[in-house]
Amino acid sequence: MEVFLANAWLIPALPLLACALITFTPLRRSNAASGWTAIGLLALATLLALGLLGATARGLALRDGQLTTLERGHGAHGEAGFTFPEPNLVQRVDWAPAGERVLAMGLYVDTPVATMLAMVTVASLCIHIFSLGYMAANPRQSRFFSFIALFTAAMLLMTMADNLLLFFMAWEVMGLCSYLLIGFLYQRPQAYRAAVKAFIVTRIGDVLMLLGLVYLWTLTGSLALGTGEGEIFNPALLARLGDEHGPLGLTHATGIALLLFCGTIGKSAQFPLHVWLPDAMEGPTPVSALIHAATMVAAGVFLVARTFPIFEADGGVALGVVTFIGAFTALFAATVALAQFDIKRILAYSTLSQLGFMVAALGIGGWVAGLFHLLTHAFFKALLFLGAGSIIHAMEATPAIARLHHADEYAAQQTAQDIRNMGGLRTRLPWTFWTYTLGYLALAGVFPLAGFWSKDEILADAFKGGHAVVFVVLALAAFLTAFYMTRQWRLVFFGAFRGEHPVVFINPEKPPPAHHDHATGHGASPHATADDAHWHESPLLVAPLVVLASFAVTGGLFNLPFSGPGGHWLSDLWGQEAATFSPLVAAISLLVALGGIAAGWVLYGRAFHTAGETDPLEQRAPGLFRLLYQQYRVDALYAASFGRLVALLALAWAWIDRHVLDGVVRGVGRLTLFLGRLNFIIDDTLLNDGPDALASGTVASGRRTRRLQTGRAQDYLGYLFGGVVVMALVYLYLIRP
Amino acid sequence: MTLPAYLLPSPDGVPWLTLLMLSPLAGLLLVGLGSWLRLDERTLRLGATAWTGVPIALAAVVWSRFDPGATAAGQGVVQLVERVPWITAIRVDYFLGVDGLSLPLVLLTVVMAPVAAIASWGVVERPRAHYALLLLLEAAMLGYFLALDFFFFFIFWEFSLVPAYFLIQGWGRDDRRAAALKFFVYTMAGSIGLLLLFQVIYLAMRQAGLPTFNLIDLGRLGRSLPVEGVEGSLREILFAYMERLGVAGALGRYPLLYTSIAFWAIFVAFGIKLAVWPFHTWLPDAYAEAPTAASILLSAVMSKMGAYGMLRIMLPLVPDASQYFAPVLGALALAGIVAGAFGALANIGGDIKRLIAYTSINHMGYVMLAIAAAAAAPGGATIDSRAIAVNGAVMQMVAHGLSTGALFFLAGCLHARTGSWLLADYGGLRVAAPAFAGVMGTALFANLGLPGLAGFVGEFFIFRGAWATMPLFTALALIGLVITALALLLMFQQLFLGPLREGLSRVPDLRPAELGTMLPVLGLLLLLGVYPAPVMNLANATATQLVAIFQNLLT
Repeated sequence: MEVFLANAWLIPALPLLACALITFTPLRRSNAASGWTAIGLLALATLLALGLLGATARGLALRDGQLTTLERGHGAHGEAGFTFPEPNLVQRVDWAPAGERVLAMGLYVDTPVATMLAMVTVASLCIHIFSLGYMAANPRQSRFFSFIALFTAAMLLMTMADNLLLFFMAWEVMGLCSYLLIGFLYQRPQAYRAAVKAFIVTRIGDVLMLLGLVYLWTLTGSLALGTGEGEIFNPALLARLGDEHGPLGLTHATGIALLLFCGTIGKSAQFPLHVWLPDAMEGPTPVSALIHAATMVAAGVFLVARTFPIFEADGGVALGVVTFIGAFTALFAATVALAQFDIKRILAYSTLSQLGFMVAALGIGGWVAGLFHLLTHAFFKALLFLGAGSIIHAMEATPAIARLHHADEYAAQQTAQDIRNMGGLRTRLPWTFWTYTLGYLALAGVFPLAGFWSKDEILADAFKGGHAVVFVVLALAAFLTAFYMTRQWRLVFFGAFRGEHPVVFINPEKPPPAHHDHATGHGASPHATADDAHWHESPLLVAPLVVLASFAVTGGLFNLPFSGPGGHWLSDLWGQEAATFSPLVAAISLLVALGGIAAGWVLYGRAFHTAGETDPLEQRAPGLFRLLYQQYRVDALYAASFGRLVALLALAWAWIDRHVLDGVVRGVGRLTLFLGRLNFIIDDTLLNDGPDALASGTVASGRRTRRLQTGRAQDYLGYLFGGVVVMALVYLYLIRP
Repeated sequence: MTLPAYLLPSPDGVPWLTLLMLSPLAGLLLVGLGSWLRLDERTLRLGATAWTGVPIALAAVVWSRFDPGATAAGQGVVQLVERVPWITAIRVDYFLGVDGLSLPLVLLTVVMAPVAAIASWGVVERPRAHYALLLLLEAAMLGYFLALDFFFFFIFWEFSLVPAYFLIQGWGRDDRRAAALKFFVYTMAGSIGLLLLFQVIYLAMRQAGLPTFNLIDLGRLGRSLPVEGVEGSLREILFAYMERLGVAGALGRYPLLYTSIAFWAIFVAFGIKLAVWPFHTWLPDAYAEAPTAASILLSAVMSKMGAYGMLRIMLPLVPDASQYFAPVLGALALAGIVAGAFGALANIGGDIKRLIAYTSINHMGYVMLAIAAAAAAPGGATIDSRAIAVNGAVMQMVAHGLSTGALFFLAGCLHARTGSWLLADYGGLRVAAPAFAGVMGTALFANLGLPGLAGFVGEFFIFRGAWATMPLFTALALIGLVITALALLLMFQQLFLGPLREGLSRVPDLRPAELGTMLPVLGLLLLLGVYPAPVMNLANATATQLVAIFQNLLT
């Protein structure tokens, strides 16, 4: 067991090694070899992470190289405020000098960290394996693996960081990987635009988070996690942060917590910085599953969880904001998901909404519930995305879309992602159907799947804490979740296949030739019966689905009221008080889920016989549906306000440079020349040659000036030195005091 | 002559710094010899490039003999000191030495010289003169960072303009003459005040009993640290001299007034060089019109001469005025950060070199912010905060030198391939040149401050240090972080992403020589980003001692 603790550093190091190997050695020339390298090293890291979880679950800890056993605390979240379990491992090395102190960097492992590491490695491994099949047709598959290996390394390092600076550094590297992978198909304008958008929008949150770190470090003298002297969770320090007031009349704790939370808003795509995540779906589907559903976007939630004592230190102001943003996003995103047709976009908005659940859970003090939902969500959302990938993969092979593919690859892909063009895939993709169904039921919160338990715990916390508004909002969001997922599931898997006459995506970058479009839209119908031959599910795609589905089913078991000797195994593991299980809340939550499912089932039971029909919701409320379909037009609003402002400012600063500042410089230059000429005329013509020689003097002045500007290095050098020496001599010897 | 405790001669008696400073000049002689022997251009190119390894080796020796932690008598110990009386009539010494502020920049200079040398391989017109000027420029910049007597310091300061001027003027682009003249005259004009100031300081010191141009001693006097042979602080000495001249009677009996005048004389000179807003307009012209090698050396090293001057002269000599005017400096720094960022954004689709030049203005704004914050009045800030700001500034200078140098180098490579500087003429190059895109992307992310690469460390430490004394300016400076990133990413997008533009399909990928040049630079950026201690340890002790005085209210 000691070996897992002592070698914990290998967990992020192995994927990093994979990235380096794939990038810099000849492995990069082979798609398969690079993929298996990444998978092999990650599998090793997964074993280490699971071993580490086992070791920490037993309470083993490494103190100065000695193996000891920790007493596990209970009920720490009482009067004294939130406390973390004792760390199992802290390793630090000096990193950079900072005045009279030294900034150290290192690893910090406690039980929540070990749990996160296990989740990240397992989910990432599944997605790595899936990618091997999914990206097989892409000639740049090795590059893909080097990016996701780097991403995984960064995510693991962030999880294990012993201080917030290292946390932030890994966090930003994940942002880089997200940028690279969203823009992986870099020849598509939509892809690289989405990549830049994702990077810049999250960077807005990130720089504010950076300011929060700077603020915190200025007050504490370090950024190290821990409760010791000079560490950021030191009780005396937290009390001081909560009492003293900083800028804008906020307490230090509020200011720091809100700035840190800006990082969460960016990274976890909370309103109002959520706009990048739906566009991020331009990335390959495994990327959406790994980065934009399971791990990176959850990092924002993890940040709040990791710095929770600071959020708590101000007596509830910061957590109030957290709750508001989380609950609002949960509902807001759920409504948008109602009116989307793109299978990945629905899942993306669903991710936003679920992240909102987690953030709101943390905001109302449900630390365990929030983190628990993070873990279960990672598995079932990754499962749903991979299932969607499997569906899209199959859809792209259907004749109508395959034909479109030759004309316009991007339009073909978008058409393949449109749920209106699917239908009846239940029999055609059985493995995908069954696993997807489990993921869907888990997300909808149906007993006894993972999502039910974790979502129920959040609702129970809201109920117990007396947050009535939060409870209602989240319950409503949960209802909508069940509804839109049923809509999607029903349209994708049931009814007749509608893909022979798809709703063709019109690519604004590349308008398809009219005749061709007609042929793809309708010409395919006579041959539609032959299409069943194309449906297939590759084992490389199915195996990860099955693994993830098993977690989606069983994930909830870890924190059941009866899952351990003291009940609530995870709460116990994390050293927290167990949430009280409320049968009433569980019943409400189940009713809400079933209600949503029933509504969806009924409403979409007879909808969409052909792909071109109007959505039943649109028939009932066309205006609202358009608004939701356009995602409340937030993008357009931002483009019209911030986008224009930035462009205008760029023009304004350029204008100031060119006309005002440079104008002054040129003006001074001209004035100097003028004065010089005047001086020359006075000296040389009036005083020396007299008025009669005025004309010849002017000529001479020109000649003399010309002679000055010989353009030869030595001359200029001579003048320069001459000037310096003369000035020195004049001032030192002639002007005597 | 016996040296005080804060000056430490070379441990083995070898004048390493003189050798270091003269080594590029020896290269210059070799170039001359080579052309006299009528060696072909290829040999000359390779020879001159190889010779830039000699200063690197010597600098490495200097580094190995430097003890970064040494402090004595309230300052970082100046090491490997060589001090010989030179012009006894005006007490000018030949006085070289390195401390934690100059050594990182010396190392940066020697590292960037070969990059510039390789970037000039494509020069066909008068290559001998081109190489001669490059080596001359390197020598002048090294001399500037090593000289500790104002007389030599100033000579190197002015002298470095000459090769830069001729490089721009002789090998630059279409508007080179105007740009070169503007660059030259602007910097010259700005430093007149500095020159006059030091005459006055010399005379004041003579009255106080110790006529000197010794920057270390003057810096100690400025900070009220004891110097043998003279009593009082520089502020009192200047004021006494002003009273003696009768100026104080006429202008007012405020000591701060005279240090303020001194401060502005110093600040304008160095501010222009650092391209502090609003003195920055020469920079985009000069960087853009210069040939690639000169762009590299100008942006990577020369702009740092301004910041170094502020740290070496402005903060120690007139700390009271520096502290008094720190808010003004902070505001100018902020203006530069924002102006640079938006200026870069305005060049999307325009000239690639102008875009990079504007990001340089932005980055130098952070350095200015750090210097202002280090000097600002104590508002409960710890000495650590100030030291962190200065450490961050040094790190930022090194990181920016490496990454911007790399970007200019790569921009030059692009131009050599397509003949265009206009971003609008590019598109989709990643298809044709994937390795090029990867290398340029790395340099660009280093430039925009991605963690794991050196630029981030500098920026983070600057923000950390600046927040303690100037929270508002620091918060507003965040705009620069976002907008610069946007501008650079859009530049990358314009160059490399999207469908390949017609006519670019035959553009060759990165050549081995180019890759070989970039890999060490990018490797250093990565190394310092992951483990910045090698550079920051150099600066930390000196910086901590330097900023100690600002913990007191000086005005």
